[in-house]
Amino acid sequence: MSNAIIPLLLDSLASAALIFFAAVGLTLVFSVLRVLNVAHGSLYSIGGYVAASACLFIASRQLNPYLSFAALLFSAVFVAAIFGPLIERSLVRWTYGKSEAVQILITFGLFLILEDLQRLVFGVQSLYEDAPMRLLGTSSIGGVVYLNYQILLVGMAVLVVVGLRLLINHTRLGRLITAVVTDREMAQSIGIDTNRIFILAFSLGVFLAALGGALSTPTSGIAPGLGADTMVLAFAVAAIGGLGQIEGAAVASLIVGLARVLAIYLAPSLDAVAPYAAMLVVLLIRPYGLFGSVTARRI
Amino acid sequence: MLRLDKVSVSIEGVRVLRKVSCEIIARKTTVLIGRNGAGKTTTLRAIMGLIAHDEGSIHLDADDLGSRPAYTRARSGIGYAPEDRRLIPELSVEENIRLPALALNLAKPEIVCRLDEIYTLLPELHVMRSRPAGGVSGGQGKMVALGRALMVARKVLLLDEPFQGLAPALALDYARTLGELRKHRPELALLITESSPALLDRVADRTLQIERGEILVPSTKDDKAHVHEV
Repeated sequence: MSNAIIPLLLDSLASAALIFFAAVGLTLVFSVLRVLNVAHGSLYSIGGYVAASACLFIASRQLNPYLSFAALLFSAVFVAAIFGPLIERSLVRWTYGKSEAVQILITFGLFLILEDLQRLVFGVQSLYEDAPMRLLGTSSIGGVVYLNYQILLVGMAVLVVVGLRLLINHTRLGRLITAVVTDREMAQSIGIDTNRIFILAFSLGVFLAALGGALSTPTSGIAPGLGADTMVLAFAVAAIGGLGQIEGAAVASLIVGLARVLAIYLAPSLDAVAPYAAMLVVLLIRPYGLFGSVTARRI
Repeated sequence: MLRLDKVSVSIEGVRVLRKVSCEIIARKTTVLIGRNGAGKTTTLRAIMGLIAHDEGSIHLDADDLGSRPAYTRARSGIGYAPEDRRLIPELSVEENIRLPALALNLAKPEIVCRLDEIYTLLPELHVMRSRPAGGVSGGQGKMVALGRALMVARKVLLLDEPFQGLAPALALDYARTLGELRKHRPELALLITESSPALLDRVADRTLQIERGEILVPSTKDDKAHVHEV
């Protein structure tokens, strides 16, 4: 058992990183817009499809394989620039201030549309191109061979936590976002165009989801149904961390990642249940999540 | 300067303002007096665009404010200090005061200049500038909210019940500050709401009375309009 601990921990870290990208976008959008976007998982899978298609294109044309790293990042930017403003302006903005039931119904409708749209555009077969993973090779940690690409994933997740915290605490945009999160009306009164902040925050959330989807393709490929799976996992993570909590999402991702990997090692049939069992335990003890409370800072 | 013309506002189907017409004049302090629920706060919120009006128009000079989103009020130079302060508790006092400058994307020298002016007027804010806004008392919070509104107010300053809940000593301080403000920024049009006329006797140039959503005494251009007994 003890020699299984190291690969176990490293596996759970990489799996936590991917869940984190999806969950942090969800939690960010929720804290600024106060809308739980049920279609968030679809944007993760769209990011995956676009990235996998781009990497397959690069491979088929025998272009410089290192371009596929740029393709992963650029796919996320592309998806965010197209879908972020479009979805926020056309659908999400009509749900501001409405009841949660309306918000969930509308974004669920969007989820159904996006899922079918993906089948229409990318087909129902799975896409897989592992060039980025192969290029980075492997390392041996404590005698266990490990994919460098997975270490890169963990590094990217850490970068996102630090980057978001810097953005929110130390930039003009971050200050304006904090003001909107704390008090929308006051934010307007002091001259903040809240609609602009909503578009930016929503697009940033889409970017993070699409980035997660894009980064997941070199190791696990992409197939229909990923959007729904991701959504449910991301929601579990956001709930464990406390909705709206960035660091909470990071810690909760680790918990869920660890729970899943432990289940796979110890009782593979419980893999799908493990994240929700973790959520159940946490919410029974802390109903607002690990970092959430009625009065805690909101972003 | 700021003109309301037959402005009516409903909240959830109930008429709260009925054809309110009044004018807030540059270089004058206008006091809007009325009981709780008379429509004082709603009048200010309608001016700020935080609540839609069913009919009537609101103009700042020649600009029709009614057709513009709420955030443009600050750009037009209307500063607003709500009754319940509404500061960002986790930011410091100074960060709260600077927030409108960030929102309006003011140039650095302009921000420094406005901040200096605010600290000259309200020296107590300078003393507590690095404390978190969540940790100041209610009365001090009102001063911070006034400072933040002054960062924006180039033409009009709206103060919603500034004396509500202030300790007598602080209320006196606040009234003195308003007097100083008159001297420092003579061009400002001030609109202050209050439920008791006595508190603003010395500050008011003009008094308007609001009752059940209607303005009783039409605005007079006299420097010293008489204060009606409530």
